[in-house]
Amino acid sequence: MKTRSLILAALAVFALAPAASAQTVTVMGSTALGPLVKQAAEDYMKSHPGVQIAVSGGGSMTGLNQVVSGGCTIGISDVFATPQQEKTGIRNYNLVIEPFTLIAHPGVGVTSLNAQQAEDVFTGKVNNWKEVGGKDQKIVRVNRPTSSGTRAVQQQTVLHGKEFSNNQLVQDSSGAVANTVATTQGAVSFIELDFLNRANGRFVGIAYNGASCTKQDVSSGKYPLFSFGHAYTNPAKTNPQVLKVAEDFLAYMLGQHFQDTTVLKAGYMPVAYVKSLKAKL
Amino acid sequence: MPDASDTLLDAPPCASDPTRESPVVESLPKEPAFRHSRLQRLADRWSHLLFLTCGLLVVALIGGILYFLAARGAGAFLPLAGNTDKVLTLKEVFLSADWDPNSGKFGILPFIAGSLSVTGLALLLAAPTGILTGVFIAKLAPGWMKTLMRQVMDLLVGIPSVVYGIFGLMVVLPWVSGKWLSDSPAAGFAVSAAILAVMIVPTIVSLSTDAFESLPLALEEGSQALGSTRWQAIWHVLIPAARPRLLTATVLGLGRAIGEAMAIQMVIGNNPQWIALMRGATDQTPVLRFLFTPAATLTTELVQELPNTAAGSTWNNLLFAMGLLLYLMTMGIILATRRLGRQRNA
Repeated sequence: MKTRSLILAALAVFALAPAASAQTVTVMGSTALGPLVKQAAEDYMKSHPGVQIAVSGGGSMTGLNQVVSGGCTIGISDVFATPQQEKTGIRNYNLVIEPFTLIAHPGVGVTSLNAQQAEDVFTGKVNNWKEVGGKDQKIVRVNRPTSSGTRAVQQQTVLHGKEFSNNQLVQDSSGAVANTVATTQGAVSFIELDFLNRANGRFVGIAYNGASCTKQDVSSGKYPLFSFGHAYTNPAKTNPQVLKVAEDFLAYMLGQHFQDTTVLKAGYMPVAYVKSLKAKL
Repeated sequence: MPDASDTLLDAPPCASDPTRESPVVESLPKEPAFRHSRLQRLADRWSHLLFLTCGLLVVALIGGILYFLAARGAGAFLPLAGNTDKVLTLKEVFLSADWDPNSGKFGILPFIAGSLSVTGLALLLAAPTGILTGVFIAKLAPGWMKTLMRQVMDLLVGIPSVVYGIFGLMVVLPWVSGKWLSDSPAAGFAVSAAILAVMIVPTIVSLSTDAFESLPLALEEGSQALGSTRWQAIWHVLIPAARPRLLTATVLGLGRAIGEAMAIQMVIGNNPQWIALMRGATDQTPVLRFLFTPAATLTTELVQELPNTAAGSTWNNLLFAMGLLLYLMTMGIILATRRLGRQRNA
């Protein structure tokens, strides 16, 4: 009760503040999405003098925690908010598509897996590369930690919701995963597509279901290994004027111009690619 | 005479000060032997206050961290304000080896066992090596080598742990895996403990060198005069005489080892289900399996999961409780060894 009245008081003060003062939108969260949003903010501020957009990192869950508590205007995240967080009335915007890919140590002798094989590799049903057409070598699964967004995407798309095998190595960051896969015989993992583009042959990509991460395969639903980059706002705890600016900024990011230029350049894909798939997601 | 008494009260107690040796009545001369200026006395008092503040600040900080961890950690077991999730019983947390937060299983035994195992193994490697190196530097090494070794040890203490971690990940793991494990991954207790040992050896060496150098020369000379060899003098006289300080050196190493997170999490494999995995596997002898099963510790789990869990959730609260546990374990070890050291001294 006390906090609520305090917040109301704070809101009242903000609402009474003169409209002429610069409006500051604070963005916090995902370090993966950060650079893209920062770029968007710079472009947006150029065309909207008087608007200040401050972007900082902290991680997806930090962004969500902060937007729920009113600590920032926009929380950016690689994962959906938890059901408890959804209950607070925060609003989700799917900003971009973040494509992922399967990768492996170059020596495994496999370049493609179908959906069932990929699932079996990670659930532990298959433990040797020769069972999926590769060399006679033990499969070493390299995963992200249980709470990681990437891992959640992987569980949903590759494992179809099934449990990961408990015979696994876990690495904290995508960079550490890439290093481990590159230096461990028989290693396999799941990582942002961008890392594969910069691998220089230290590890190789594995095609999923015969499809690769292209516009055609993604928009037809043939290549399901992607997630959304999210932005969340909290209308209940944001000054309406600031909220309006924030919504306009998000509309700018979702506009065709930004999606077709900056988003593609940054290694993401426009959300429009999967508009038709929305019912499925 | 407020001036004189002020000066006496504020002056640091000093054994060689003649005024303190003689009886009090006589020690109040009409004119003090020396007289501090007003400014000096003021500075004295202010510095006293400054030191007091710093001391209190440290205590408050430690207390504050303890309170913060306890307040957040208690949320895992008690229905506190800010909780958004279910509450656990102590039994299902501390007596279960099943960790799978997504399906509501929160047994933290694997992490406790992991922390104790990796720290124990590291100490097993580091303590004898460190202490014997200390003996060498203090008693056997020629002068130039002594200086060199001391400097190298000081340098080693300053290397950030993430550097050891990267070295372990990129060099040691592939090497061990290719050399001895026929290319199966080497992540696990063995490599982690080895890297941890390298990290804490410099601490142990520095402190045990000091310990041996502070021993009275008469001990060594006496034992040699009684006909003991150098080895006998070291083993039967010097090491027992230095034991309390060697113990302290080891415990400080232990403190660093148990709290280390960055280096370990890069090489240990971070598998919370390592106990189940070890039970299930049959392809190696138990000892080898133990040494090379990807495992997890309290610190590695904290580093990996804390930034990604929602505040107020059971999972997040429990991670804070694990932080508290780590804090209490470290404190317990240090206090216990203090007591041990004091008993040996007496």
